[in-house]
Amino acid sequence: MKLAVVVQRYGAEINGGAELHARYVAEHLARHHEVEVVTTCARDYVTWRNEWPAGEDALNGVRVRRFPVRRERDPGDFGRRSARVFDRPHSVNDELAWLESEGPASPALTRYVASREAGYDFAFFFSARYYHAWHGARAMPERAVLVPTAEREPAVGVSIFAPVFRGVRALMYNSYEERAMIQGVSGNHAVPGVVVGVGSDVPAKTDAGRARRRFGIDGPYLIYVGRIDENKGCRELFGFFESYARQRSRDLSLVLVGNTLLPIPEHPRVRHLGFLDDRDKFDLIAGATALVMPSYFESLSMVALEAWALGRPVLANGRCDVLRGQCVRSRAGLYYENFEEFVGTLEAIERNPHFRQALGANGREYFRRHYAWPVIEQKYLDMLARLDEENRRQAHRAAMEPLPGWFARRRSTCRPAAEVLAAVPAGPVLPAGAPRPAPRRHDDHDPDE
Amino acid sequence: MTDFTLRSDQIDVEQIMRQIRARIKEKRGVDYTEEEMRELASVKLERFLDPRALRADLLQHFRQQQARDPLPPVPPLENYAFDADTIYKSHRGPLRWIRRLLNPLLKLLFNPNPLIHVLHLQGRINTQLVEHLDALHREMSRRDELGALNYEVMTNLVLELTRLGIENRNVKMRVESLSTRLDFDERRARALEGVVQYRPGAVPSAPAEETRKPEAGEPAEGQPEPDAAGRPGKRRRRRRGRRRGPGDELGASPENGGADEGNDRSAREADQAHAGSPEITPPAGESGDVDSQ
Repeated sequence: MKLAVVVQRYGAEINGGAELHARYVAEHLARHHEVEVVTTCARDYVTWRNEWPAGEDALNGVRVRRFPVRRERDPGDFGRRSARVFDRPHSVNDELAWLESEGPASPALTRYVASREAGYDFAFFFSARYYHAWHGARAMPERAVLVPTAEREPAVGVSIFAPVFRGVRALMYNSYEERAMIQGVSGNHAVPGVVVGVGSDVPAKTDAGRARRRFGIDGPYLIYVGRIDENKGCRELFGFFESYARQRSRDLSLVLVGNTLLPIPEHPRVRHLGFLDDRDKFDLIAGATALVMPSYFESLSMVALEAWALGRPVLANGRCDVLRGQCVRSRAGLYYENFEEFVGTLEAIERNPHFRQALGANGREYFRRHYAWPVIEQKYLDMLARLDEENRRQAHRAAMEPLPGWFARRRSTCRPAAEVLAAVPAGPVLPAGAPRPAPRRHDDHDPDE
Repeated sequence: MTDFTLRSDQIDVEQIMRQIRARIKEKRGVDYTEEEMRELASVKLERFLDPRALRADLLQHFRQQQARDPLPPVPPLENYAFDADTIYKSHRGPLRWIRRLLNPLLKLLFNPNPLIHVLHLQGRINTQLVEHLDALHREMSRRDELGALNYEVMTNLVLELTRLGIENRNVKMRVESLSTRLDFDERRARALEGVVQYRPGAVPSAPAEETRKPEAGEPAEGQPEPDAAGRPGKRRRRRRGRRRGPGDELGASPENGGADEGNDRSAREADQAHAGSPEITPPAGESGDVDSQ
């Protein structure tokens, strides 16, 4: 089977988010099928500036085909269009212009993926909200498999996405919460979909002592791994941790790993180590008391899965449905929604070694059962086999709804995307029998992607 | 937040979160919503409750302000009444006659009516302004009186706040002292429990029972018991006297008789002396001692 993995950026140094997810999937699927990655020449997700040369390339044994982006993103224009589409009644044309403004606009990429010359049996489109996924999926709906990687943000409520969610052959969701949200927005219950997520190449052995010596870390520490950004909840985390350290804990430190967009507080127990390679990262996670995930919006936290794989508990922001749902389902993490809960949960983890170990053991088991690579690969292969079988029996329905007509596209009949999303019930998807939390509605949204 | 019971790996995260939230709720008394908490946090109560945070020179400043801005006296204003004939008036009769004679000619050259109207209006405005100024003056005088009252109230408030602050600090210190003593007593009780061994044959139970019998069963009248000091029947007479009192049924019951007679020190001493010095003091008795403190 010839497969395409279509993603907005692709490269060894892109170390997070949907792009890393796509790379992992491409490399693992390449063991079973012929896989080609189709992507843009962009390296920076803010500007989409063409930085890699167009044409063929290879990375870790996978062929990569790059296409230039037609124009860079104008942040001012994109901000204005986002405000219009998210917060005000608007037209379909406004949404199309917003999508074009968001980018990465690469019509050449779309044309190539859908062409007979490429000859793909199926194409996995990563990140539903971007130009390449929308246009690509519409160009070849009968062969398109969507990996939405959607967070609970207003972009999901933009009306042009619903027909795509309903029109593709299948969807590979990252979490149950993501599936519930997309089904709530688009009503695509009939489309085959499976909650897969992504695995991680966690080393079998780690050396926490080595990392401690290398970075001069003494005593217990809480670790955060990822972009240090206000949109990731880091500012709130800093405030909470400083208060906690002052009031409750005498020796717990906060270790931050990743590039920062925020000033790091001048605190003797807050250490910023910058961007680290995988070995250091895994060793540090393995030696941590717990991993903290303060983000409000996640479609799937790979670093949380890595912490669980290494037997460490996770302390997550309970306002993120996905993280909260994963904590409950895995029985391997606690969550907080305010400072008092942060104190209560962190204290419970910090001061109870047995409890911590039990959480860690649950996390390891959860990762092994749901996110180990053989499990993930098998889910992808099963889906491909199912779609192939449908093709042979000609049992599939290829029905991508067309865009409205010329006049209809110009009428301001679309509801604000934030309003659409707010109408979709929120909350974690809990195991059957567990008491359901009161449905919450998210009125505020993350302005960043 | 530290004592979770773990049964192997049967961890229910939701259950643990409920426990944590229940403890938070227990701690702060009321389960406030996030908005309420934010609202409460935005009010800096300490500024008002802490006497040290009050401005030391507040009263002085207030007094200075009162003295610095006295109400300026309103000078009596002379209003210029103006009507349609004012511009033609004169105390000289011929001049007045000539003006009236030439009035049509004057009106041919320009129209004085708007001028007259404006000046008339100005006169009325002046009158109203004077009235307003008078009213303002009266109001300011009233405010001055109110200011004096405010000053008095503020003085009292500052004094009361300071007194309350000091009292609060004293109460806090007392609470700390009491809790320290309580901790010490608890530790002592635990230590005694650990050290002292109960020996069934060490203390004959009969004397103890004999000692208690008179308390519980009220010995027969006419048989006064001598106490340790040899004073006959003193305690019994008091208890009988109390029992006769109206509405004192509970006080007469044998279970809480000891508590009721907490102020009857001599009677208690007599009981203890009569019972001898027991080798084992039951823990309940110790906690009762602590409570009585």
